[in-house]
Amino acid sequence: MTKLCTLADAVASIRAGSHIALSGFATARCNIAFAHEVLRQAIKGLVISQCVAGIEADILIGAGAVDKIVYGGGSRGRSGQHHCICRAIEQGKLITEELSSLSMTFRYLAGALGIPFIPIRSLNGSDILKKLEQFTPPVVSRVDDPFTGEDWLVLKPLIPDVAVMQVQVADEEGNAWILGPRWDNAEQVRASKRTIVITERLVSTEAIRRAPDRTVVPGYRVSHVVHLPFSAHPSSVYAVYDFDEAHIDEYAEASKTPQGFQKYLDEYVFGVNDHWGYLERVGGLQRLSALEADPVLGY
Amino acid sequence: MVTNLEYTSFELMAVTGARELKDGEIVAVGLGLPVVASFLAKRTHAPSLTILLELGVADPEPIHIGSGLSDPRFWYRAKIHTSFVDMLGMVLHKGLVDVGFLGGLEVDAYGNLNTTLLGDPEGKYRRFTGSGGGNDLASCARRTVIIIRHEARKLKEAVSFITSPGYLRGDGERERVGLLGGPARVITDKAVFGFDPDSKRMRLEAIHPNTTLEDVLSNMAFQPIVPDNLPTTEPPTAEQLRLIREEIDPDRMYAGS
Repeated sequence: MTKLCTLADAVASIRAGSHIALSGFATARCNIAFAHEVLRQAIKGLVISQCVAGIEADILIGAGAVDKIVYGGGSRGRSGQHHCICRAIEQGKLITEELSSLSMTFRYLAGALGIPFIPIRSLNGSDILKKLEQFTPPVVSRVDDPFTGEDWLVLKPLIPDVAVMQVQVADEEGNAWILGPRWDNAEQVRASKRTIVITERLVSTEAIRRAPDRTVVPGYRVSHVVHLPFSAHPSSVYAVYDFDEAHIDEYAEASKTPQGFQKYLDEYVFGVNDHWGYLERVGGLQRLSALEADPVLGY
Repeated sequence: MVTNLEYTSFELMAVTGARELKDGEIVAVGLGLPVVASFLAKRTHAPSLTILLELGVADPEPIHIGSGLSDPRFWYRAKIHTSFVDMLGMVLHKGLVDVGFLGGLEVDAYGNLNTTLLGDPEGKYRRFTGSGGGNDLASCARRTVIIIRHEARKLKEAVSFITSPGYLRGDGERERVGLLGGPARVITDKAVFGFDPDSKRMRLEAIHPNTTLEDVLSNMAFQPIVPDNLPTTEPPTAEQLRLIREEIDPDRMYAGS
């Protein structure tokens, strides 16, 4: 059964206040086109989660679409902090349920397995844990190991309403290949109630069947498939295109102030009709083709 | 060893960090100088070192320096592309990572590391990266090595936020909260520190060339344990400098100019 639809239709399926698991990591496979469309449709009150924040989280938070983030921290690496996220936290405008990379993954894994809680060694003794202990209803607790009696920290599972997956290759059913490292993506999909796949390349199911070992997202967990090239720009998609350093620099500079960030949105999000308009605005095919990945290097 | 080679303080930190890694070990690295140090160790005395990146990369051999762990330049020629659950879960959490290699904003007298915020956590503060895999490495690796600039505002009696626990307040507190390992070394641009086996307080181990004890102590906000016998850190070799400058970080992204 085909689940192929437009980005606008896929985003329209998301209700205000939903919990969305995002697939980006810093500057890689970020849900940029998706985030832009969420802003154009003015969907608000979201809860977003991911192990390490990507640029899409910064955009959604900067634009005021997010009430709460559940994440393990993150920055753009050498390119600097996520200014909108940092500003929102400093100003107390964002509910921040903050963990670490592994504890986030464990919470998705517990959600994916359908188990009631998951023990972990991380977080113990840290101020991260002290802040998590203040949440009601609780997201952390302690249990005695029934076999040894040892005391363990346990985490509450995460069950997002929707996972949004930026992938290299998918078919119309949503069976998708993720090439390169896939951080928490497989667990996010399996923890979530449904998944929206946004793919760079659309292929036949027959092509998927010929290399099923690459399939990370199972079509039977997918509600919508959107075929949209360069939908992670300016972040990278391994083996398809490199990150756009100049555009990330432009974004980094703009997002240092709320005024600069708003101007960026006015130009690249609200100043265009859709993703195709965005791609023209950032330089069109001439600029984008220069980002195409070398098949040996993957970037 | 006498040398008249010129090198930056970043290069000395990277070389000193590389020496902490033994051949055959598994190291999980954070961004920055730990990456340079790990690739340097692998290309010199530790060819069988396994380098893990938390997001799901094992044993890459980059030919270009990356701007972050998410930069595919750092994933080049890896033996495995996998996931957090595999790297941080089934290797680190299982207790198989020998060294967690981290940088940070602040470290304190007991090796507690802050990468979250500067200022008053209950009042006005500036927000930074947070944990990523840092807390996981500090909690689960067999030992932790920390690289940090030697400044009084970075070397504090107590950090303002414990993102990644060291020995907490010492006196066995780390073991009591159920953590493995602990910090083994703190490498700055002036000195190398270890930790007193009993009190778990930071202890000066070596001073870098052309640095005095007074220079080391006057640029820290706490008094470390100072032993009577203080060796001088071994300077970089010509080959180590060549590898850093020509092969590992030719753009001087991490090793300074």
